[in-house]
Amino acid sequence: MTSESAIGSLLIDRPQDGIFEVARRAFTDPEIFALEQKYIFEALWTFVGLETQIPRANDFLTTHIGSQPVLLTRKSDGSVGCFLNTCRHRGTIVCPFKHGRQKFHVCRYHGWAYDSDGRNTAVTEEADGQYPESFRDKNRDLIPVARLESYRGLIFASLSPSVPPLEEYLGQAAHFIDLIVDQSPVGQVEFVPGASSYTFDANWKLQFENGLDYYHFNSTHSSYVDILKNRAVSSNADLPREDSAERVGQGSFSFPHGHAVNWSIKQVSAYGRPLSNDQENLNRLTEQFGRDRVKWMLRQRNLTIFPSLQLIDISSSQLRTWRPLAPDKTEMTSHCIAPVGESAESRRMRIRGYEDFFNPSGLATSDDNVMYEYCQTGYVAEAGNTLGYLRGLGSDPVHDGPHANEVGITPDEYAFGAPTFGGETNFHAGYREWHRLLLNAGQKI
Amino acid sequence: MSHDLSSISAAIYREARLLDQKSWKEWLLMYEEDAVYWAPGWLNEYDLVDDPDRQVSLIYHTNRGQLAERISRIQSRKSITALPLPRTVHVISNVHFLDEKQSPALVSASFVVHVFDPRTAREHCHFGHYEFLFSLSGESPTIASKKIILANDRIPTVVDFYSL
Repeated sequence: MTSESAIGSLLIDRPQDGIFEVARRAFTDPEIFALEQKYIFEALWTFVGLETQIPRANDFLTTHIGSQPVLLTRKSDGSVGCFLNTCRHRGTIVCPFKHGRQKFHVCRYHGWAYDSDGRNTAVTEEADGQYPESFRDKNRDLIPVARLESYRGLIFASLSPSVPPLEEYLGQAAHFIDLIVDQSPVGQVEFVPGASSYTFDANWKLQFENGLDYYHFNSTHSSYVDILKNRAVSSNADLPREDSAERVGQGSFSFPHGHAVNWSIKQVSAYGRPLSNDQENLNRLTEQFGRDRVKWMLRQRNLTIFPSLQLIDISSSQLRTWRPLAPDKTEMTSHCIAPVGESAESRRMRIRGYEDFFNPSGLATSDDNVMYEYCQTGYVAEAGNTLGYLRGLGSDPVHDGPHANEVGITPDEYAFGAPTFGGETNFHAGYREWHRLLLNAGQKI
Repeated sequence: MSHDLSSISAAIYREARLLDQKSWKEWLLMYEEDAVYWAPGWLNEYDLVDDPDRQVSLIYHTNRGQLAERISRIQSRKSITALPLPRTVHVISNVHFLDEKQSPALVSASFVVHVFDPRTAREHCHFGHYEFLFSLSGESPTIASKKIILANDRIPTVVDFYSL
């Protein structure tokens, strides 16, 4: 069994001494993995879907919270329901489909039926079942999750009753959800149909880190960078530019509960953006939200909501979630997320950009996936802790820019540097939260 | 006049062999300049993406230049996915006309691509159906369009044109 001291040594957190280290076994140890499943993935808020995925009564989708299967429904009163997707009778998965619309979910094993509100509406041949007296009063409904809340159309669920309210959990990281949702003329986001699912043979934290990591871009994606350069030569698009007085560079903000965002400021968008392509919408947004917020909508932003959600808004836009399957195996689900009501041309551009970059069949994400596997293989070597979380810890950190003010936030961590900065202090919040939760777990076991 | 299935079958087998041999240049020349290369995603358990401008595909290219980009990426020896490149074996079967009267000819085939990755000594396979539009005006059939319907779409790590 994992002892408290074994958990304690997983993270050495002394930034004042220039030290921030994560033990290699955090990525390989099955006992750590089991603790993570129970005390992190099944104990926090988990993104389970968008309101727009289940717009009408009786729409449903199925997903997981940690290892546990859940059913998300639009109930008869228009609210959202989320239930453990398992029959009360003998445990069968009640709804085996990814998504659809049906009023009743009938267990295929013995025919027990449930409605979209999770209520058990039929026990097959109940009258002839010679049930004991106690069965009549027994609750037979699907078990609802402990907590279910939405923020700007993003639905989160938790198996733990003791999580803080969702808005409190998201905190100021929510501003970066707003920067995506507000791009829609109707204030809603949707998934472009055609999600992809893939696996990599590495620990989930490799994905968590990668989303926070601008440092890897030019080396891991150098073949993609070459393609972009070639395309730029042949493109004469008149793209919106940052103000010439704007300092170019890379930066990050971190927030309580382990969330962080990294962003970059370039004089020219590397590429046409779906939003920059739609002048009418840009004008409307500037009028409604002001220049600063539109500026931030056009900037590259990678948001990580701990522990398993990343929202990326660059030349396209992606919402990805992960489900750890083993210490060295992770399942990813990737969606192209888009503002409802954008122009057909912006949508087409968004889809092409997404396929280009994000798919496991694309030109960039595929390189990341392979890289995670190289890391996982390398982590087996007993070579001491790595030096991977130190960029930005120098004695003269830059955090005096106008950036936080422009977004209207007061983040816990704020770093800014050159266009090749590749700061790593934005990894710290997530690892601190991860470690805090594991230490709590250590006291319980 | 109906087309000759044997010459089309030969072209499909040749394409598969060129991919397995990593003869990218010759492979590319089998495609017409404005060829569509399309691996649609799945919308649910049963339905495929059918509108690439409103739904997400795994790969959607509308000219040969975009395939050339993919080739240049792996030839640059910079892409991690190609260091090393997996060994592949394309096995093609069930070649038949879906519509032999139309021109270009619409042809279906089943595929299994066995993939061995020397990096990890791991092997897996991708399988599904191809739908080709073949132009038959030239000396040998050329590909006007290739649609790849990947049946097992939970993808292990990476998939690319050479493993489909």
